[in-house]
Amino acid sequence: MLIDLKDIVKDYDNGGIITHVLKGVNLSIDEGEFVAIMGPSGSGKSTLMHTIGFLDRPTSGEYFFDGQNTKDFDDDDLAHIRNERIGFVFQSFNLLPRTTVIDNVMLPLLYSNIKTGHRHKAKVALEAVGLGDRIDFMSNQISGGQKQRVAIARALVCNPKVLFADEPTGNLDSKSGSTVMSILEQLNKEGRTVILVTHDMNVALHAHRIVTIKDGEIISDKKVDAKDRIHSKIISD
Amino acid sequence: MNKYFQQALKGIKASPSRTFLTTLGIMIGIGTVILVLSAGEGFKSYINAQIDAFGSNTVIIETSVPPSTKDRSSGQSSSTANSSAVNAVPITTLKNRDVEDIKQLPNVKNAYGASIGQQIATYGNVSKNIFVFGADASRFDIDKGVIARGRPYTTEEDKSLSQVAVLGHDIAIDLFGDSDPLGKFVRIGNYNFEVIGVYERRGSFGFSNDDEQIFIPISTLQKKILGTDYLLYSVVELVDNNKADTTALDISDILRRNHYITNPAQDDFKVSTQAESLATFNTILQAITYLLIAIACISLVVGGVGVMNIMYVVVTERIGEIGLKKALGARHKDILYEFLIEAILLTLIGGVIGIIGGIFLSFIVSKIAQSFGLTWKLIVPISSIIISVSVSMIIGVVFGVFPARNAAKLNPIEALNKE
Repeated sequence: MLIDLKDIVKDYDNGGIITHVLKGVNLSIDEGEFVAIMGPSGSGKSTLMHTIGFLDRPTSGEYFFDGQNTKDFDDDDLAHIRNERIGFVFQSFNLLPRTTVIDNVMLPLLYSNIKTGHRHKAKVALEAVGLGDRIDFMSNQISGGQKQRVAIARALVCNPKVLFADEPTGNLDSKSGSTVMSILEQLNKEGRTVILVTHDMNVALHAHRIVTIKDGEIISDKKVDAKDRIHSKIISD
Repeated sequence: MNKYFQQALKGIKASPSRTFLTTLGIMIGIGTVILVLSAGEGFKSYINAQIDAFGSNTVIIETSVPPSTKDRSSGQSSSTANSSAVNAVPITTLKNRDVEDIKQLPNVKNAYGASIGQQIATYGNVSKNIFVFGADASRFDIDKGVIARGRPYTTEEDKSLSQVAVLGHDIAIDLFGDSDPLGKFVRIGNYNFEVIGVYERRGSFGFSNDDEQIFIPISTLQKKILGTDYLLYSVVELVDNNKADTTALDISDILRRNHYITNPAQDDFKVSTQAESLATFNTILQAITYLLIAIACISLVVGGVGVMNIMYVVVTERIGEIGLKKALGARHKDILYEFLIEAILLTLIGGVIGIIGGIFLSFIVSKIAQSFGLTWKLIVPISSIIISVSVSMIIGVVFGVFPARNAAKLNPIEALNKE
């Protein structure tokens, strides 16, 4: 089991007013799964993803990652896990401005233990998302769909086990969105665990399992039948 | 370390004009430090040249007001004697005889006594209020001034109260213009003096400007113009400068004997060796230098606060970027170093521009000083550059560490959400 959450609680203290965002979540995800976390805004799905992705610590509960209890990990340990084991794709791409595409992709390598071959690794990752010919473009000179593909390349460059995608198609037109989803499908097919956060059923139906969260609690956890799954194609732009 | 440097450089290149303005305070501070230290060295070179020109291996005897004479009521004797030229009390005890006696000392090669009077000098219809400088003929052997045209006066001319004069460079031009002054007569007080020599240009030194003085035999000055028989000061040339201190003591003994002084606290003269004058001068120069550097440091601190201020702004601006970097695996110290190095680079850029500006200003100062005829070397001490660079880096660390820590402490989620 890759991810095992046991009774995860997350409270936010907002000037004395305590908000219970996650109210005892139990969730297990195996290696190689393609999971969509669904829920309306304010349901806690983003907080859940941040907790699983080590961007945030739970208030209580236990989180086993790859068999290890993460309770005693310090901030540097978590940074290390985020760097090498996890890749993030955000809704708003979050590329560095005034920076070339390849430099954006090389950024995680900067903070890794990998000392050499940064440029080559970044190039390979960009070729994998079909942007081998855009490496020296500035990040603001490419389209939104291309930006998200650069972000995916950046998430892949350290060869992580898990890919987190937070509303990856939220800021994209349907054509670009379709391309991004097909890339995620492909990455899952190659054996990578993909965890997708979305409120859009058409996006969620790409996954093999849909976890629905509401008011900080998991209200359903269903497998998606193969016949119901949506498959996207790469649509060249 | 290289990776932090690259990220920091990217940040600085993002807004060059802001970088320039931010580092302005550092530039001015460092530039001032360089200028002050360089000007100090230049001034030192000028003073050394002047002391050399006075004659190397010399000891100077000045008249001085004994402390008890100056202030009987206070009853305490101050250790530093006061020059009679500065205090308006004339000390009349230093005589030509003293100089003759001092010449007998084994380590004394030569000596001259000198006095000064203020007079009107007239040639044709041009009149100038000038200082008439009287000295023994031996002054021409000791002093390094070069007579461009004509000749110095001789001991015989001095003894016979001859009315001959050697003109400073500027006064010769003021009185005679383009015409040759040699052989012509200039009126000083009630007497006509034959011009027998003209000095080369020397430049001014302190309050006296040799170029604007007229040099005549001391006996002529004393007997015909001033009506006195005493000297203002005397310059003694030594055989061996290493024995200057003992010779100075010997000179003091002679003067005390001649002046009937038993208690050294009552000395009516002051004997200073070159080493002493240099030491006094250096002490004063150092005090002034430290004062000016302290003022420059205020600019450095203000500049440092400016850098800190901008770094806080930069951290706020790049809050999303910091969150992203943390999400991608940057550790606390990665972010800390990136911002710290950016702050250091900022101050370092200011420092380097300040150094260049400071050297440029020092160059201008030296050129201006040289245009006034001063022997002023352009010296930029390496130590001043090393100090400036390290100071600007230290400012970067000191004023960069707080904003950088703020950046590093950011929670990645909060930082990402603020984007």
